[in-house]
Amino acid sequence: MEEHKISNGQLKALIITANIGVGILSLPSSIADIMNNAGWIAIVLGGLATLPFVYIMNKLAEMYRGRIFYEYGKEVVGNILFKIFNVVYLTYFLVFLAFVVRIFGEVIEAYLLQNTPIEVIILTMLLATSYIGRSDIKSISRMAFLILYIIAISTIIFVILSLPTLDLTNLFPAFKFDIKDIPKGVSTVFFSYVGFEIILIALAYVEDSKSTLKFSFLGIFYTILIYLVTFFITLSQFGIHELKKQIWPSISIMREIELPGFFIENLDGIMMASWVLVVFATMGPLMYASGVVLSNLFNTRKHNFFVLPLVTIVMIIALIPESLTQVYSTMDMIVRYLAIFAIIIAPTILFIVSLLKRRKRV
Amino acid sequence: MEKGDPVHKKLDKNMKKIKDIFKNCDDVVYRQFKVGINQEFSLAIIYVDGLVNSDAISDFALRPLLETARKVEPTPLTIRDNLYSLITEGNISISEVKEAETINEVVDAVLVGETALLIDGYEKVAILSTRGWEKRGIDEPETETVIRGPRDGFTETLRTNTVLIRRRIKDPRLKVKMVEIGERSKTDVAVLYIEDIVNEKLLSEVKERLERIKIDAIIESSVLEELIEDNCISPFPQMENTERPDSVAASLLEGRVALIVDNTPFVLVLPATLGTFMQSSEDYYTRWAIASVARIIRYIAGFVAVLAPGLYIATTAFNPELLPTGLAFYVASTRINVPFPAVVEAFAMELTIEFLREAGTRISGPIGTTIGIVGGLIIGQAAVEAGIVSPLMIIVVALTTVASFTLPSYEFAAGLRFYRFIIMILAAILGIYGVMLGLIVMGTHLVKLNSFGIPFTSPFSGLGFKTGDLKDVLVRVPVSKSKHRPDFTFPKDKKRIK
Repeated sequence: MEEHKISNGQLKALIITANIGVGILSLPSSIADIMNNAGWIAIVLGGLATLPFVYIMNKLAEMYRGRIFYEYGKEVVGNILFKIFNVVYLTYFLVFLAFVVRIFGEVIEAYLLQNTPIEVIILTMLLATSYIGRSDIKSISRMAFLILYIIAISTIIFVILSLPTLDLTNLFPAFKFDIKDIPKGVSTVFFSYVGFEIILIALAYVEDSKSTLKFSFLGIFYTILIYLVTFFITLSQFGIHELKKQIWPSISIMREIELPGFFIENLDGIMMASWVLVVFATMGPLMYASGVVLSNLFNTRKHNFFVLPLVTIVMIIALIPESLTQVYSTMDMIVRYLAIFAIIIAPTILFIVSLLKRRKRV
Repeated sequence: MEKGDPVHKKLDKNMKKIKDIFKNCDDVVYRQFKVGINQEFSLAIIYVDGLVNSDAISDFALRPLLETARKVEPTPLTIRDNLYSLITEGNISISEVKEAETINEVVDAVLVGETALLIDGYEKVAILSTRGWEKRGIDEPETETVIRGPRDGFTETLRTNTVLIRRRIKDPRLKVKMVEIGERSKTDVAVLYIEDIVNEKLLSEVKERLERIKIDAIIESSVLEELIEDNCISPFPQMENTERPDSVAASLLEGRVALIVDNTPFVLVLPATLGTFMQSSEDYYTRWAIASVARIIRYIAGFVAVLAPGLYIATTAFNPELLPTGLAFYVASTRINVPFPAVVEAFAMELTIEFLREAGTRISGPIGTTIGIVGGLIIGQAAVEAGIVSPLMIIVVALTTVASFTLPSYEFAAGLRFYRFIIMILAAILGIYGVMLGLIVMGTHLVKLNSFGIPFTSPFSGLGFKTGDLKDVLVRVPVSKSKHRPDFTFPKDKKRIK
């Protein structure tokens, strides 16, 4: 039977699910810290800031149709330089994975499994993720599509349930901000949008390669929308001062919401449960991508046998930070610098070099 | 296949060879006789007793040869030159006569129920089509009963089964391609498809997989299923099996392929997806709104069948805060006297249900019902009264079992049952987080699964989303509104209603 490719809807789902992960928990408070009530501006601008790079990635995929970034890169910048690129990518994926799974472990420990050691949570999550990491990008996109339903349903439930207790006056002043804060705000938010770099691989397998750009953009727009909804609802529920104090306002808001006479009382647990799937959808592509990068480094045809050894490495990295503060300061910093390379620098270099090469040929 | 010895000119030598091959096969009947006015031509017939229609042999083969042939005197010239064609074309009044030129061909033909007619002096053997054996009549299928709909079911005879399909689709484009599989069993397998609907790639994939099989015997279609499925380790079936000809006919019209295996009433239909396992043929015979509700209920039942015991374990042992406060207290109060942790309780009850189910399937009929009643009522009641399990546990387990039986496909429900146990174990270790991990593992397994190259989770996972396969999977829209064939099979002819 013919090889089924990734449909446009799946590509969109892949971008949304890869983007939304642990970032959504802390985003409202971290952006409120910088921009106060005008945080939504940073959310929109940060999302829009990713678009040029989404565009570059799409153009690259168009130039090298049917091939993945980590493979054609060596033709563009040379084998040795691209090997270094790939090593940086690998480090980025591993540290990012460690960062995500560590925060995930902390949240699960805090809200669901108080007596379970965090190591167990991290290891089990990594093992469950490695199962899909060992498969192919098509399975991952199908999974993304399935998880998108859960994200959509949870968002709708989240909105409906919080409506009765909303205090819209908390939103204002929505336009009062210092112009100097914008760069900082945007750079903070920008990293809530990382994850979409999985399209460096996925675009090679897309069925209808003409409209990928449109659907990639749509994926980003939906992410922006979901972040905006989260921000507005947490802000209106808590008010700016309380919001700033929260570490994970998106979860604690579920504790606030209580509908009298309603069957489900403690929504946070249910939301946490569906959030497990959301984090899984972020980690799956990362796990897969790190395996693919490794297989390109060693020129092997398959990537799946690299994934299980990677689990141990990620596990070790994830347990290095001693506390949650360290995770959010040091580890976050490292991920950011690596992400700048992975999303901004490397694709741009490749894009410019291949443009120049094309021009020379003509 | 090796050709074997050619048929010898001398009848006796051939007989000796064949008798040698059929040594100790006492169900093979040999009959040697002489024909002609002067009894100068010796002939012999060989057949397997019981596999042939003996009336046909005696009335249409032996009588013409023994009686009529003696009355007419053929001219000596024709006899010498062409006795063989004289007999086969002139005397035998059986509709289908073939020729065999090797001993092996003769043996194979005799084993499927043909009669071999050996004539002295010729290097070929006439094979008379005389198949006929005891067969079961067409009954109502026991596994898939419907309130409204046709009551005929497939039988063990392949020919009857192809007729049941042919009677429903009287179209020359419905093809019935015969394949013989099994070195020893030589089982006939019919590949059915509608030529201008089915996707050619799917068809060639099916044929290729069938050719690849090298096994001695296909006893039942499940053996064939395991040999050609994409992932034989998965607990989930990747092909449908059905006893209902109407369901097969409908599937063929969707661009799918059916495999009818001789000697079993269970016909394989492929490819199958998550959606097709949730469809029952009766959905199409009841009002669309009722059928749609029934479909949605089945999906809910699917979730209950997988999750209910796991969630019970997780909420009682780890995360009672997930329940509304009142309910959490109630659950705790019912469990106060239960001496076991929720896991043990759940596993004990699940195991009991499995015992009952197993016993019920082995012993059918009135005793089976008794076992159900004794098991369900007495054991459950006694266990609660003895304080070994909480009443809520009984409800959960009973609900799970009933839910899993609402699914139209027993095999698919069995796959879910497998994951139910995995989720229960994970819930016992990691609470609600474990339940989610179990779901992740099951989901990953499902998205990785293919049925003949078609994603098992379609159309839910994106494929066919545009053209709206969902309206025949999640619900059932009125017939006039479902103008297209489902997209997941990539049919050549997409329109159902022109």
